[in-house]
Amino acid sequence: MNAADSHGAAHGPAGSAPPFPRMELRFGHPGRRYEPGEWVTAEYIIDGLNGERPRALERSALWYTEGKGEEDLGVYFFERFSTPETIDRVVPEGTFALQLPPSPLSYEGVIVKIRWCIRLRIFFDTGRDHVSEHVFTVGRVPPSILP
Amino acid sequence: MRFPRFFTKKRGHRRTDSQAWGSFAEGLFYALLVGAGVVFGLLLVTGAVTYAPADPDSVVLQRGYEWWMWLLTLLMPVALLAFGGSGLVRVVRTWGKSQERRAAASGAVILEGLAGPSAGAAGRPAIPSCDNLENSPGIVLRYRLPLESPENWSLVGFGLFALLWNAVVVVLAVGVGADLIGGTTDWLLIGLLVPFVVVGVGGVALFVRSVVLSTSVGPTHVEISDHPLVPGRRYDVRLGQGGAHLFRSIELGLELEETATFRQGTDTRTQRIVVRRVPVSGWQRVQPVPGGIFEARVPLTIPADAMHSFSSENNAVQWRIVVRAQPDRWPEFIRIFPVVVLPVTAAEVGAVPESVEAMG
Repeated sequence: MNAADSHGAAHGPAGSAPPFPRMELRFGHPGRRYEPGEWVTAEYIIDGLNGERPRALERSALWYTEGKGEEDLGVYFFERFSTPETIDRVVPEGTFALQLPPSPLSYEGVIVKIRWCIRLRIFFDTGRDHVSEHVFTVGRVPPSILP
Repeated sequence: MRFPRFFTKKRGHRRTDSQAWGSFAEGLFYALLVGAGVVFGLLLVTGAVTYAPADPDSVVLQRGYEWWMWLLTLLMPVALLAFGGSGLVRVVRTWGKSQERRAAASGAVILEGLAGPSAGAAGRPAIPSCDNLENSPGIVLRYRLPLESPENWSLVGFGLFALLWNAVVVVLAVGVGADLIGGTTDWLLIGLLVPFVVVGVGGVALFVRSVVLSTSVGPTHVEISDHPLVPGRRYDVRLGQGGAHLFRSIELGLELEETATFRQGTDTRTQRIVVRRVPVSGWQRVQPVPGGIFEARVPLTIPADAMHSFSSENNAVQWRIVVRAQPDRWPEFIRIFPVVVLPVTAAEVGAVPESVEAMG
């Protein structure tokens, strides 16, 4: 499972805030490789909430650029759950599905790279938030190398 | 105790430290600008009441400003208020919102718990528009591609430089001439004029050379049988090269170029790099018919594994047809014709016909 976790706003002296939760996400395709237009299904589990109630949860699918240029980002799918009723439906575990657009495809260029990922972002009443990113591949474009 | 940092550094593809503190610092900066605009504006407006130092008992209640002087005076505080105010509104509107929510809000309506793709998903997101590439019909094939030549911009740059520089030279020369007619000789001004004249003559020479180079080799035309292009398909390309000279070689090829725009300090820079070259055809010792043009029609196959054209605010991946020619007695020139390649799935590659016939 390829995931990167990072934290948003964290307040107070180190050690006073509760530990951040662990978010695991499993794709429908074991290889995490999809064709444009294909459906992506994902299941996730959030561990380590320690009884703390989330204020909101955001689920998104997006592409972003990496490389020499400034980062560009395009959100294709976005859901936000912020009422108690809807949060209970999606925390601590949930599933969702989305159909990929025809473009852009994942690309490993020399100075421009395009990546697709699913992000889960959880917000707490204390103001802190935690995001987990899960990269997947769209299309089968080979990496570029200098001629 | 870890203190917050207002200024963060980009490490890899993620920024460090707290987004909330960064937004707070940004908001503080814009608030200071608004405050400076208000204070500056009030000082200027209330500064209409002054006094004469020679006569401290008398007070000037009104300053004789014209309307345009007021406009100039208030320009700075109004600019500060506008820049600071718009920045402050933006910070307040995005306060506490995640990067994904801000990006999604710009293109889609967010509903509670309702999944949905962003606007534009029905089309082909992040693929550049073809409108400017398909608005000119060809003589033989369907489309005549527009030329994107950096030489034209160089020509404009040289022309502007020569014009502006020589305007300064004329002003200096008039001053020197007036002095000489009046019977005085300002050696400092004459000494200054000499290097200015040298640079001015050089600028004119560069401009004339650029004009001769761009007009003497003749125009280049490229037509294509269909557009936008799809990986795995074959197209017809017609090349037309004008000129009365002998060309030692002419090469036609397809190139993939990556473009990345980044900020370095206060500068914005753009780097371009060609990451793939596909030779299409080449000709040696070409002599166009006098009064006519050299013409050739060749097949062009887009590689089946080609990356599609991509364009976002700071990054781009662009395909272009490139003509490289080496005239017999002139420097080599390159002419670029951008094209758009669409993405294709593995299933589509097998379904498409091998060739797209030319339309005459």
